[in-house]
Amino acid sequence: MSIGTNIRHDSSVTHVAGESVFIDDRPEVRGEVHVGVVGSPIARGILKSIDAREALAHPDCLGVFTAADFHAKHWGTITHDQPFLVVDAISYMQEAVCIVASSKRGSVEAIKKLVKIEATPSEGVFSIDEAKAKGEILYRAASPFIQGDVDAALKSSPHRLKGIFRCGGQEHFYLESQAAIAYPLENGQIEVHSSSQHPSETQRVVAEALGLSFHQVVCVVKRMGGGFGGKESQGAPIAAYAALVADRLRRPARIVLTKDQDMMITGKRHPFQNEYEVGFDNQGRLLAVNALLQSDGGAYLDLSSSILERAMFHLDGAYHLPNVRVEGICYRTHHHPHTAFRGFGGPQGNMTIESILEDVAHYLKKDASEVRRINLYSGANLKTPYGQVLENNLLPRIHERLLLSSGYEKRLGEIREFNSRRCGKVRGISLTATKFGISFTARFLNQANALVNLQLDGTLQVSTGATEMGQGVNTKIQQIVAHAFGVCPDAVRVMPTSTEKNHNTSPTAASSGSDLNGAAALLACDRIKARLIPLARARFQGQEFDPTREFESPESLTPSPDPDMVFSEGVVRDQRSGKSVPLRELIHLAYQNRISLGSYAHYKTPDLGFDKTRVVGRAFNYFTQGMAVSEVEVDEYTGEMKVRRADILMDLGRSLNPGIDRGQTTGAFIQGMGWVTSEHLVYDRDRNLLTHSPTTYKIPNVQDTPREFNVEFIENPDNDRNVHGSKAVGEPPFLLGTSVWTAIKHALSFRANGQEIRLVSPATSEVILMELTRLKGE
Amino acid sequence: MRTTVVFFLNGKRHEVGSDQAFQTVSDFLRYERGLTGTKVVCAEGDCGACTVLVSRFRAGKLQPYQSINSCIAYVYSLHRTHLITVEGLKRGQELHPVQAAMVERQGSQCGYCTPGFVCSMALLAEDAKREGFRPDEKKVRNYTTGNLCRCTGYAPILEAGVAMDLDRVQALSSFYGDDRIEAEFSAIRVEGIRIRGEGKEVFLPIDLTEAVQERASDPTVRLSAGTTDLGVVSNKGKLKLTRLLSLQEVESLHLIKKTGNRIRVGARASLHQLERSLADEFPEFSRMLRIFASPQIKNSATLVGNLMNASPIADTIPFLRVAEVLVLIASPQGERRVGINDFILPGYKKLDLRSDELVVGIEIPLSDHRYKLYKVSNRKDLDISAVTFAARYRLKDGAFESFSLALGGVGASVLRMGGIEAQVLGKPLSLNLFRALANTLPGEITPITDVRGSAGYRLRVAQNLLLKFHDDLAVEEGLGINEASL
Repeated sequence: MSIGTNIRHDSSVTHVAGESVFIDDRPEVRGEVHVGVVGSPIARGILKSIDAREALAHPDCLGVFTAADFHAKHWGTITHDQPFLVVDAISYMQEAVCIVASSKRGSVEAIKKLVKIEATPSEGVFSIDEAKAKGEILYRAASPFIQGDVDAALKSSPHRLKGIFRCGGQEHFYLESQAAIAYPLENGQIEVHSSSQHPSETQRVVAEALGLSFHQVVCVVKRMGGGFGGKESQGAPIAAYAALVADRLRRPARIVLTKDQDMMITGKRHPFQNEYEVGFDNQGRLLAVNALLQSDGGAYLDLSSSILERAMFHLDGAYHLPNVRVEGICYRTHHHPHTAFRGFGGPQGNMTIESILEDVAHYLKKDASEVRRINLYSGANLKTPYGQVLENNLLPRIHERLLLSSGYEKRLGEIREFNSRRCGKVRGISLTATKFGISFTARFLNQANALVNLQLDGTLQVSTGATEMGQGVNTKIQQIVAHAFGVCPDAVRVMPTSTEKNHNTSPTAASSGSDLNGAAALLACDRIKARLIPLARARFQGQEFDPTREFESPESLTPSPDPDMVFSEGVVRDQRSGKSVPLRELIHLAYQNRISLGSYAHYKTPDLGFDKTRVVGRAFNYFTQGMAVSEVEVDEYTGEMKVRRADILMDLGRSLNPGIDRGQTTGAFIQGMGWVTSEHLVYDRDRNLLTHSPTTYKIPNVQDTPREFNVEFIENPDNDRNVHGSKAVGEPPFLLGTSVWTAIKHALSFRANGQEIRLVSPATSEVILMELTRLKGE
Repeated sequence: MRTTVVFFLNGKRHEVGSDQAFQTVSDFLRYERGLTGTKVVCAEGDCGACTVLVSRFRAGKLQPYQSINSCIAYVYSLHRTHLITVEGLKRGQELHPVQAAMVERQGSQCGYCTPGFVCSMALLAEDAKREGFRPDEKKVRNYTTGNLCRCTGYAPILEAGVAMDLDRVQALSSFYGDDRIEAEFSAIRVEGIRIRGEGKEVFLPIDLTEAVQERASDPTVRLSAGTTDLGVVSNKGKLKLTRLLSLQEVESLHLIKKTGNRIRVGARASLHQLERSLADEFPEFSRMLRIFASPQIKNSATLVGNLMNASPIADTIPFLRVAEVLVLIASPQGERRVGINDFILPGYKKLDLRSDELVVGIEIPLSDHRYKLYKVSNRKDLDISAVTFAARYRLKDGAFESFSLALGGVGASVLRMGGIEAQVLGKPLSLNLFRALANTLPGEITPITDVRGSAGYRLRVAQNLLLKFHDDLAVEEGLGINEASL
């Protein structure tokens, strides 16, 4: 029984031994070429010329390639609006202008420096306000989400607050930077190994870049050293650079960005600037919410439209908004094209309502957790702003239990007492929630396929479109398959993801990797089992297998294997007769009788479909819910902050692997905490990113984590919407990092003398200190 | 004169000269030896993915293993060392107890930072075994401060560190027979090393006279110490290294010696050594060194290196300025000693040092003064400061008998605040005094706006630190002031 147990990550032994192979760990092969990207020296303008003469004269230089060398000039996940290499218009600083090929790894940087780029700069747009003033819109949400009558409700509300919530971008800081190696094969084919969350798209983008048909390209992904959304779309052009050089020179070509260059070139989490007006009663119950979500999309669309929409889908947070209007606009600026990042807009929407509720509580001088409680989805109040009705809603239970387990009331009292002593430190505590919609909001992406091969020794090889970036999707699939056949997990190997085995796959994103691919793998297992069971039954009935007569096993696309035939501990047993046969023996018998031991299956999430123009339908298969309570301490002299304690309670249905899910939860929380505290992107006047390495860009380190950190899962056996009753975990806990930020807000409220607290995100030491100074009127 | 360095890598002897000697250790491991377990992420010693363990042969013995960032260390610095990489921790098919605990506790997700964490924690296991302590969560944190992980939120790693089976931990010296390696190192004749390759040249003399001559022979010679800064600027293409001089093989310069009323810190003494050596005499400084940098950096970086970097935000300089240390300088003309406050000249990174001179050490005078050192940055640990503050003082009958103040990050260099010192001297500790000083500060300092903070923020922090200093003293002196002055 491997489902629900804490089996180890399938790569953990090679990870700890330093034996896991990432892209740049692949041995260099004969004739291999190293590829580098030359970026634009200006943020906006027109490319006049590329002078590569000196670069080409470098003894190790094998070529300099420009947009002219590409068959297709543009790529893009939603629309093909982004040039592989600058054609004429330059739209952001360090945008890729040309690529160089070097016979030596060590010469790439020197060759890059020899390329001379001439460009005419023009005035760029670098903020949402500027873009708004100039009407630079990338995408406007098709329709607002509307429930009730927001204008009338606002008018009749006893209290109103109006404001703008601002949150910054975030660098993914996956440890393995963007990387790919392309091998030229016979007949013009290309095999590309990429650090990518989306091998199918990489295959297509590479083919289009080179003018090949799709069947000429195979993309293989063994694993990534972190992805977090940053390799959903933006790994593809990097792979195309390597592929182009490989194709032109007919030599293997490797590209590995330095951390600095990766951070400068690639897009980030979208900064948002959300305007809102809310009305509420004396208890703090929200009566009306009118919100306009505005994102900085950067230079090209990338995934910005879907991200904006997911922000709109999560503006409600965990709270019922009886009268609501949510609109969204994504602006075009001359920043790197912002892209997917864990949460995919959800955090920016969710944090807005959490910030508002903190303000409402401060305004009414009430405990914010109580204000949140009375606003939670509960009872009959289950309709979201987009019309979907919540099922299996655990929010009130989670709230009640977490308040108790975290000792919230008592600690709030202690904090009040501590803060009254004015010792130079001020503390705050806050509870926030996540109710994360699981499914791609683009319905067609909610499909997956899997290939399961049962070997004669009873072991299995499984291939799906899921990519492993550390999140443990391979381990969960391994468990699902091992469970299906009643073998130990070690008997199952999840193979490298490859587009020749699994076609037209969706990105491993939207927390859906295990849901979709696990379900497809389970279906494939069931198909094999449905063939084996009649054979077992025949054997139990003492049937002789006659070489002159074919044993016919049924074939079903939607099999439901006989539940009385149990696959367990390497044996197939008929519960009714008590007869059993070792799995290996049955497999052998099947092989002798020419019954297929492999299967392929396709899965699509049922009952999905949302029309964003009419705002009707089911956008999400289900929701993953959870809450966190964080306590912080702020140094009033310096603005420095530390998290004293965090308690998290998640509903993950029936967890497939509690150990992996726990790691996803702590990892997501800390990443979310980083986003709202120390992770600050700083650009200079010319829009060079100044924070392009960990010296200046501060992700949380081991000393920043809560001194006390408790993570628990609430019992929920009732989620019948997903494989084995589990729930997706990748993104939902990211949103809980917000509780650290609202806790800072709470701390500042003790020094606010009733004033409104204007806190932006990230709340760096500087932001905190300057706001404290303002509040104290110094 | 040697032209190669000799070292052991996971128990195997290597002798390297010429071009390869100028590679970073991580490039050598990954691309020359195929040991790709060691990862390079930031190439600037900030993320720890490249962490390896190294033991140096000194005084006839291999010294305790230490962690270093292999991405900013050079192969030429490996002479007479034993290097253990993540691949070298597994014995046959058996995982090191730290590796086993990381597997057991789900301490790795994507796996890219994992080898670095494993090495840092293997060092924890080694030290715990040798020094006889049981790793608690705090210890694990302190040993992994120099390792970044983006996946786990650190919680599973901390658990793994605490949970590892210490009873199964064996001393690293037993892994590959360090006795044998020591015997081989003992047999190597002690002599200077000069290596040329790739248009570069490095000289590692064994005595100071040779070092002084080399320094004086060519003003373009750069000193290579822990290379925690040099390695970064070179990796990032900001500096091309051509002629290098390393004092690493000059045994005497590694020492920290107490003589009479002063402590002499050799140019090659690491910050790690310093943190331990000064714990009794300068506890405040020792504590500041704790959060100054990661173990990996402190094992390589030197006090003299930090001084010579001369940055306005160099973390040790405010202390050095108020402690009135002496800088020991050697040249063909002999040795001279300069007071730190004369050595640091006004302006950005300006020092009283001729191109033929070499800083060989620092002398810290012992005194009965007390210190307060503050370091403010966006992230508490391992972040370059926005503002630093160092005060040295002596109170007698509630009044300042002595007061020195230095501030970093508020001007082109670390400043001694003579004007403020004069106003404090002789006065009793009072809030009014420090409020007034804070109010005069805008006229005294010229902070800039950069990636680490705005000018306004730096000014406010500097002002608040004066108040914090007052408040901290008021509490310590029992003046009955219980509320912060803010």
